[in-house]
Amino acid sequence: MDVTFRIRRFNPEVPGKNKPYWQEFTVKNVEETDRVLELLHRVKWEQDGTLTLRRACAHGVCGSDAMRINGVNKLACKVLVRDVGTKIQIEPILGLPVLKDLVVDMEPFFDHYRSVMPFFVNDTPVPADGRERRQTQEDREKFDDTTKCILCAACTTSCPSFWANGHYVGPAAIVQAHRFIFDTRDEGWKERLEILGEPNGVWRCRTIFNCTPACPREIQVTKAIGEVKLAIQQRKREGIATPVGPIAVGNG
Amino acid sequence: MTSLVLTLTETLRYRGALGQWSWVLHRITGLGVLLFLVLHVIGVSWAVFFPELWEKEILIYQHPLFTIGEFALTACVIYHALNGLRIGILDYNPKWWKHQQQAAIYVLIGTVVILIPTFILMFQHVLKHYQSPEAPFIVSLAFIAEAQFPFLVGIVVAAVAAVLVSSVVGLFTGGGRASADKNARQSHHGSQLERFWWRFMRTSGILIVPLVFGHLILAHIVQGVFEINLINATIPGVPVNEALGMLANGINNSGTAVEYVAERWNFFAGPVAIWRLYDAALLALVTVHGFNGLRYVLTDYTQGSPLLRRAMGYLCAMGAVALLVVGTLALLGTIDQTMVDMARAAQDAILAGG
Repeated sequence: MDVTFRIRRFNPEVPGKNKPYWQEFTVKNVEETDRVLELLHRVKWEQDGTLTLRRACAHGVCGSDAMRINGVNKLACKVLVRDVGTKIQIEPILGLPVLKDLVVDMEPFFDHYRSVMPFFVNDTPVPADGRERRQTQEDREKFDDTTKCILCAACTTSCPSFWANGHYVGPAAIVQAHRFIFDTRDEGWKERLEILGEPNGVWRCRTIFNCTPACPREIQVTKAIGEVKLAIQQRKREGIATPVGPIAVGNG
Repeated sequence: MTSLVLTLTETLRYRGALGQWSWVLHRITGLGVLLFLVLHVIGVSWAVFFPELWEKEILIYQHPLFTIGEFALTACVIYHALNGLRIGILDYNPKWWKHQQQAAIYVLIGTVVILIPTFILMFQHVLKHYQSPEAPFIVSLAFIAEAQFPFLVGIVVAAVAAVLVSSVVGLFTGGGRASADKNARQSHHGSQLERFWWRFMRTSGILIVPLVFGHLILAHIVQGVFEINLINATIPGVPVNEALGMLANGINNSGTAVEYVAERWNFFAGPVAIWRLYDAALLALVTVHGFNGLRYVLTDYTQGSPLLRRAMGYLCAMGAVALLVVGTLALLGTIDQTMVDMARAAQDAILAGG
């Protein structure tokens, strides 16, 4: 079968093309089990070498190929043709400056990520046996969901609050903070709650739920943000986070 | 990051789930209700300060355009209430995330289910009005424009004043973006104010729902806006008691909107003027909830400019204070027979002139 792509192009260096424009490509002999990323490769390799996009592992782990596919944020490497049909519209993710075609400047996103102290904080001496700090399985499960984030920015750039206001820390940074706030071994949680309690922290979240279906890892993003809000409201972290458990309904 | 126009158009282009459209509707309905709230509070306060203007206002509310607006307003209130409850419940129970999509559908269904009988009942009043033996009086569009123009001017003046104050504050604090960003990087103190507002929006919302539904039932279903200045009509929520004075007997003897207000505010259950108390609670909660909601919307889209961001905050604060002051003064005021007579004379003049 044939697949028609409608791709949002932008190249600041070429006169006449330094405004975003749409370009169509037709790719022939496509299997319905082909991934969108492979077809974008075929466009680039067989038709137009200037098409610019990011990808690395191509297996949904590195998080570099988030883009807007048929209007919704997805990872191109995790979407099959049969999931999206034979007319596919591709745009860069929204809310970050577009550098070229599908490549956006991720620095503002990583600035927000770094702002929430996304690292383990515990200055107490290691246990006497010199081995790991122990934790019950139940306690581990409370933040298991938010350990899955691959920083692809699909959630943050699906958020209307972030589109309107790039100062908003955004869903992904809150997910990363959640992973440490609710880790019983971590001691930096109070400071993180202060950071996220700022006006452009969690309070910009309007519980819209766009981030949840956008996550290619099926993280319950809005739930995680909600738990961080409650932790700030109640000034504690005990008894707030609940395990997600098996996903009963797909995020999409 | 992106310009306002781009943000708005892309918001509509992104194919988000139902939650995105619920949010768009929540904002639109909230803004709609707030706009009418401003007109309404100032309008009712005129019953105390400028009786003839309140009489005019009610005649305007009876214009077909405002009847359409009244139906839209009712729909806005009901959707905003139900969707607000959904958001509040999910915010306090993140573990119920599985049900959010379903809940958004229930909100839409609930809105329609409540609206159908509400609209039917409201429409009875419209029918009754237009089927009355004497042809209903309809004010001209020019009349409406002239009467509503000051509101428009007021809003524009408030917006300009907010920007001016913000620029002055900016001059004195050197309040450019650079300093704001620097502060943000240096110290981290969660905003107690935002923490409070988040809780306030949810708790006030829950308190507002029964109050505003009660208000809608009395003023739009039990009686429509057409009966507010109907001569000898009874006043909903005020028992008829001929023994009491003309302005407290539960009957609109003069057929003026001013007496309608007086009747309700003069009704005492024991020592308590319950309708004044009811309206005071509604005024305080809805005004603060509404203007904080407006601040949320306006500051969402003005983060790029410290000047505008501050201005939007001032605008909302000014609006809330102005409305609270005007409303409170009116609720504390008295309406006497001379004012009712003035209203009657104004009404007669308009009806004769029309």
